[in-house]
Amino acid sequence: MTVKVEVVEGGIPHNTIMAAGLVASVIFIYLTYANVLTGTQLFSFFGGLAAVAAITWGSHTIKHLCSYGIGTGVPSAGMMAFGSGVIAMLFATKFGVASPIVAVVLAAIIGAVLGFLSNNVLNMRIPVMIQSLTEMAIIGALVLMGFAAMISGSFEFNPLTAGSVTILGLSLPSYQASFIGSSLIAVAFMLGGIAVQHPFNACLGPNWTQDRMLTLAQECGFLSMITAAVMSMVFLSFSAALVSVIVALVGWYYTYTKYIELSKRDAAAWLDAKPIPELEGH
Amino acid sequence: MTAIGAKPAAGAAMDIPSTIAGIILLLVIVGATYFLVGAGMMFYALIGVIVGGLLIAFGVHFVPVGGAPAAMGQAPGIATGVAMLAAGAGLAGLFGGAWAAEQGLVVAVITGAVGGGLMMAITCMFVTFIYVFGMGIPCASGKVAKDPITGDTQTEYKSQGTEGHGLPFVSYVGGVIGGLLGGGGGTLIYIMLLDVYKEALPGMMKALPAQVLPIAVSLAGIFAVGMFLVNAVLTAYNITGTIEGPHDPKFKRFPRALVASAVASALCGMVAILIVAM
Amino acid sequence: MESIVFGIGITALAGALATVAGAAENTESDIGSQGDPNSQVQLAPQMGYIHRIFNKAIAGEPPAYGLWVALGAGLAWAFMAMQINPILAIVLGSALAVFVQGVYATTAYLGRIASLSKFGQPVFIDVLKSMTTVTMAHAFVAIFTTVTICHLINAALGHPFPLPLLGLVWGIALGAAGSATGNPFYGKERQYQTQKFGAGVPIAASGNIVRYAEAGERNSLDNGWFSAKLGGPASGLCFGLIVFLELWRTVIFEKIGAGWGAIVVGIIIILVFTVIDRYIEVWARKNYGPYGEPAKEGS
Repeated sequence: MTVKVEVVEGGIPHNTIMAAGLVASVIFIYLTYANVLTGTQLFSFFGGLAAVAAITWGSHTIKHLCSYGIGTGVPSAGMMAFGSGVIAMLFATKFGVASPIVAVVLAAIIGAVLGFLSNNVLNMRIPVMIQSLTEMAIIGALVLMGFAAMISGSFEFNPLTAGSVTILGLSLPSYQASFIGSSLIAVAFMLGGIAVQHPFNACLGPNWTQDRMLTLAQECGFLSMITAAVMSMVFLSFSAALVSVIVALVGWYYTYTKYIELSKRDAAAWLDAKPIPELEGH
Repeated sequence: MTAIGAKPAAGAAMDIPSTIAGIILLLVIVGATYFLVGAGMMFYALIGVIVGGLLIAFGVHFVPVGGAPAAMGQAPGIATGVAMLAAGAGLAGLFGGAWAAEQGLVVAVITGAVGGGLMMAITCMFVTFIYVFGMGIPCASGKVAKDPITGDTQTEYKSQGTEGHGLPFVSYVGGVIGGLLGGGGGTLIYIMLLDVYKEALPGMMKALPAQVLPIAVSLAGIFAVGMFLVNAVLTAYNITGTIEGPHDPKFKRFPRALVASAVASALCGMVAILIVAM
Repeated sequence: MESIVFGIGITALAGALATVAGAAENTESDIGSQGDPNSQVQLAPQMGYIHRIFNKAIAGEPPAYGLWVALGAGLAWAFMAMQINPILAIVLGSALAVFVQGVYATTAYLGRIASLSKFGQPVFIDVLKSMTTVTMAHAFVAIFTTVTICHLINAALGHPFPLPLLGLVWGIALGAAGSATGNPFYGKERQYQTQKFGAGVPIAASGNIVRYAEAGERNSLDNGWFSAKLGGPASGLCFGLIVFLELWRTVIFEKIGAGWGAIVVGIIIILVFTVIDRYIEVWARKNYGPYGEPAKEGS
């Protein structure tokens, strides 16, 4: 049994995860644009995959940041990420096709300012603070945009605010029955906020392992995706929502079983209905 | 504790050059907004958002939170996270304030403040209740020898090997003030943004005001929640997670949190307003 | 007049539901050792005290309940938009939210325990199987009641916020009230049962949590049984009073003096609670008395 230390050693370097997460997330969001190009809604599930990619990256950023000890709980970092990310994301939706890029840039600016405020004005003096909060804001914006694209089929402002209600068989336009008008964005906010902080919060400890935490991050992403897929049934055709549910369920099942395997590998012992073992030397 | 146990090396001092840089940034953001939207309602909304952010940041400093040691009666304060307790109170206030939104700015903001204060008053009372009647522990502060409000001596009521426990009266009052300021600040941000959206969205989306009202409410609501969390977490960083209330030496750190929160609120507020202005 | 009577009825119902929600929330989180007492469950193996307590570190209670309730509300909203009747929609939404909660609970336990393998803390699968289901049951009660409150506030009392946003607001408030009230009772009184009653746990004793029960080894169901006696009901009363008084002052007094009536009543309620708090504090000082000689380390 190897004893891992808290500093990231071995495994995939943080910059690789960051680059992969950013690129994968943006590409997946753009793949939902195939909805517009092909005139269907079947490609909406890519939005969920974008969220999974960003959450995986985010869990590692939080690990990076929180191993310095920020004085308050791990969840606060997730809340900060989404509090700043939601503002960047909603503003960016106004820019049509360019939205994901605008979201990344604007979130980076907001995150960098928040990082500067925490690190310098609040005098926290944590070397990775500015970089981490910049990343967190981008992650928050990308996760929200991914879920928005998945639930409503688009990442642009107008489709996100327009919906329809069916009354006695008639379909009427209604702004209330839309992703933003119904505040489903608040659900996406919390889904992402918990999913991004949970992997590190759950896996912290002296025997932290990177692959286990990243698998858990993917599991959290897919789990959130399942519920987002159920909510997407309101806005999307049944077949499109079904595709999302199936992709989410398959991904969740795979990562969940893999996570249990990895936990079994890392655990000191795996006991069922056994008493507390007697330890020597303690 | 393990990985999150290490406390940051943050000093209590203010970093003057960074603070000045922060203030310049604040002026640049306010100036840019003035340049983009003019001296109309939107500009005043930005000022309102900044004031709301300041109220939240200042209010969080009052909320007595002891973190994990408080749950064992090892440290005074409420046993939970400072950012989220403040959010609980502030959002309960926002709930009341949003309900009273049509009765005008002043009534709505005060209603929101009272809602936050009410939530904290009940919660703090039950914390004292549990400590006294559930655990048989009197309240004692670890930071001061005498309660600044009641003059009660604290040291001899502190049990051995702890830093104090429970909520002395000054912490209780701090909690209520924190709830008042947080609820009022959150409501102010909400009302300011709601007015901007109610005004601008019908033209932008080519729809009747009544139709786009849900969009305006949702946008303003989620932005208020987001900005509340940003300000609360920034303040939590400032006090490194725990504080006893207004008598705690950490309370004196509030000026730098005000600068940070003003800049953060200005930036977020500008983006939130530009959504409808561009 | 009729609308006020209707409003009072809804207010009373919401208050009652909130009381149930608070009690279930605190019992659930104590069974899972969520929130701040979690630090001691985490610390114990490092001090050599291997235990069979459930360690469900998903997040602090306020953000975790913010998610469960917002998710339940969002799903309920979605089902209602699909023309499913509200009660069924709320049940279905809460059930799906509880599924998410259960999965998070298992991954949190496995993750924390696997990361403690250096200290020899084993993963107990039977703990996982028996505790997760019990926390899910309690969480369902808490989520269902809170989402119902939100639906009542939105549909019957006409609050402008949509259901999911109300879920977020009241979920965080539920977690905040429940963790503030219930945590010390579980953290001090149950985990450190062997320490002196009527005093805080000395910092030197940290990690030495009680691991043996009346018969056999303590598991978290014993803790749920314990906190259901005071911590749970007190949390329930706390959250119930918050919801009830907040709605009550608005529903009845909002029309008086263009909104100022509700404000004045709110301030009076705050003052009443301040007096009660001060009374309890003084009562404790008088009846329990100081702990012998004044310690001199205060800083």
